[in-house]
Amino acid sequence: MLSLVRRFGTLIGFCAIIVFFWTQLPDTFMTPRNMLNISQQISMLAVVAFTMTIVMVMGDFDLSVGSMASLAGVAAAIVFSHDYPVYAGIAAALAVGAVGGLFNGFLVSYIGILPFVATLGTLTMFSGAAFLVSGGKTIFGRDIPSGFSGFARSGISLEWLGLQPLHLPYLTILAIAVLVLVWIGLEHTPYGRRLYAIGGNYEAARLAGVKVRILRMSAFALTGLGAATAGLMYASRVASANPTQGSGLMLDAIAAVFLGMTMSEEGEPRVFATLVGVLILGVLDNGLTQMSVDSYVREVLVGAIVVLAVASSSIGKQRA
Amino acid sequence: MTFLKLDHVTKRYGAAAALDNASLEIAAGEVHALMGENGAGKSTLIKVLAGVVKPDNCSLNIDGSKVPLDGPDDAARHGFRFIHQELNIVPHLSVAENIVMAQAYPRRFGVAVDWRRVHKKARAALERLDVDHIDTRRKTARLSTGDQMLVKIAATLVSSDAHPARLYVMDEPTAALTGQECDKLFAVIEGLKQSGASVLFVSHRMNEVMQICDRVTIYRDGRTIETTKIAETSRERIIEAMTGRAIRDTYPARAHAPAKEIFCAVEKLRTKHVSGLEFSLKRGEILGVAGLAESGQSEVLHAFLGDEKPLSGKVEFQGKQSLPSAPSVAWKRRIAYVPRERRREGLMLRRSIVDNAVLPHLAQLGSGRIFSSRRKERAHTGAIAERVRLKFGRLGQPCYQLSGGNQQKVVFARALGKTPELLLLDEPTRGVDVGAKFDIYTLVRELSTAGSTTIMTSSDLPELIGMCDRILVMRDHRQHAIVETDGLTPARLLQMFYE
Ligand SMILES: Nc1ncnc2c1ncn2[C@@H]1O[C@H](COP(=O)(O)OP(=O)(O)OP(=O)(O)O)[C@@H](O)[C@H]1O
Ligand SMILES: [Mg+2]
Repeated sequence: MLSLVRRFGTLIGFCAIIVFFWTQLPDTFMTPRNMLNISQQISMLAVVAFTMTIVMVMGDFDLSVGSMASLAGVAAAIVFSHDYPVYAGIAAALAVGAVGGLFNGFLVSYIGILPFVATLGTLTMFSGAAFLVSGGKTIFGRDIPSGFSGFARSGISLEWLGLQPLHLPYLTILAIAVLVLVWIGLEHTPYGRRLYAIGGNYEAARLAGVKVRILRMSAFALTGLGAATAGLMYASRVASANPTQGSGLMLDAIAAVFLGMTMSEEGEPRVFATLVGVLILGVLDNGLTQMSVDSYVREVLVGAIVVLAVASSSIGKQRA
Repeated sequence: MTFLKLDHVTKRYGAAAALDNASLEIAAGEVHALMGENGAGKSTLIKVLAGVVKPDNCSLNIDGSKVPLDGPDDAARHGFRFIHQELNIVPHLSVAENIVMAQAYPRRFGVAVDWRRVHKKARAALERLDVDHIDTRRKTARLSTGDQMLVKIAATLVSSDAHPARLYVMDEPTAALTGQECDKLFAVIEGLKQSGASVLFVSHRMNEVMQICDRVTIYRDGRTIETTKIAETSRERIIEAMTGRAIRDTYPARAHAPAKEIFCAVEKLRTKHVSGLEFSLKRGEILGVAGLAESGQSEVLHAFLGDEKPLSGKVEFQGKQSLPSAPSVAWKRRIAYVPRERRREGLMLRRSIVDNAVLPHLAQLGSGRIFSSRRKERAHTGAIAERVRLKFGRLGQPCYQLSGGNQQKVVFARALGKTPELLLLDEPTRGVDVGAKFDIYTLVRELSTAGSTTIMTSSDLPELIGMCDRILVMRDHRQHAIVETDGLTPARLLQMFYE
């Protein structure tokens, strides 16, 4: 019994949350429209959380993802405002993400700073840089090309499913694509298996011939790239960019990975488990908003659920 | 007179029983050996006794009356002291703190810790072991494994007024010790025995057991096979009771002499930690590296692994003028390595047997250039687990669930992945049972016949002499001598460490 709670507590909790909202909001919650809506709402968090999983597999963190998302969004907007084409803005944002991520990785892996400290530092740096290049203002309106902002508003028609006016949003599709890529990368390539090995025992992995330093740095680069992607998605969705718009992402992303970790026997991060974590946070947010629960109450609830999930997964672990 | 009697001990992990109605009887003032193959259940029994593993069934009698055993507090109350197989020191604390930790710290005015007395207590405990080279103020992490073990042993010797020690339980205390350190430990054990305490002693080294123990209890597959007086049994009988088969407790004979081809030569090689290395190895040769504890044996291996940069000297190795620049390069050049400390340097304990065994070979076991193939990895691991006679539940099992000796076999199995050109073995049989040792020796010999060169260290001198063609004697991190093993005796070899 206890071991069931430990193993499936998080999944059971997730189902309970869904059932709860379903009964509370019988007309609006369990509808295709709302489901698609949730999928779009969480797509940015999902991309950040999926790529956050890559560093957490090694036992590391990246606290700078939120400010990196803001910085990347602002960078793209600046490029747009100088009348460059859409792909140039996207490339610039992704480049910023990759370089920022590499810098994090360099600090952690080659200089040897704890990830917590290193990325706390770069969090502030990236955020400052975002304010600097944007002049502290929101960039919007004519500066954002409609081709860019249109991406977030459209999707693939679901006519063939008989859901006439509904679209599967491109943002959702993008998040799914990232999910699949990260899943393949982490679990079905030597690259990902080595990252797990580093997380399992850094020294042992090194002595067994794993190139620990460069792998660790590259993982941070991927997380940075993910954060930049999320920043672009956000900018596209709100058709504007400002230096604080990504700031909520980091805590939620880490919480999502932690929620996911409670689902595996050995407490390892797995990207599909992270997906469940993201869904829990997304569904809660959506449901509570619809029930017009105060947003502060919402925060207390989300925090409590994370703690509860982690607690339930450690019940009875002390004495085997 | 029976002091402790443990009966009907059963502990299941899933469907498999680690202990199956096992029992144990220890007399007051005796040194009692507990023996069995890897995975027989020795450590599990000890953890039950310590109250850290909850058995499914168990009854404990002390001095003839039934007493409870519901946790570590009960064990402490009964006067049990433990040295577990996994060295559980707190690395970033000082030696003194690690020694005194389990007892109440001496205090001043009832509040502030009285550090002077803490250190005095710690030093007193170390002195009982005749150890004076360890500074109690040092961080424990800085010590060698052998010294850490001595610290751990000292910790059990700290006296406590509340619960005087009656039983010392030592799970493979000598696995990480050199011969000299073992002798000190045996002297202490003798002292404990004289003082009326009992000792439960686990070891895979027959010699020690025959030398210091009064009685032996033998376990096989979680069941008690027999308890006999050491004086009334023999090595062969013990081994047969342990394994259920007759095994020769010797070294396999070399099939034929190593090839003439020189595989590697070093001249005046100096690295940060060792110097004066000057030898050449033929293809297929087995070279032993010996010396007193921490005389640079491991560092010789590290140099060939690329983890110890050469500073000067000449190298001719695998047709190149250089040693590998990093472990990743070494594995690529087919140099396989079994590290000295399996738990710290070898295993990812929470990851599966497969993940641990295939780590250096992931790229070769993939399907296509990009993807890894679980199917191939499992097949590979299954085959190699059989070669080393790994005792396990399933291949996906995390390694911490394996017994100590079986964990060691996983590390060894990893090195066998691709047929290595050079095999670097740092204490490869540490904690491995008699039968499995023989299997490992046979494997190394087979590899040697097939052309793999081996460099190995071991604190077990008969093992080195039995296995190696030549032995490199290190002294103070310098090459002291290199000797043929033909006709070499352990005593003569030991003499070379000092002379
Ligand atoms: N947490 C666990 N989960 C599953 N199986 C376990 C666990 N702990 C121990 N076992 C199993 O119980 C059996 C006995 O293990 P134990 O550690 O007692 O062996 P041992 O006699 O001490 O061997 P060794 O000489 O190798 O140290 C082994 O087969 C081991 O795999
Ligand atoms: Mg054991």
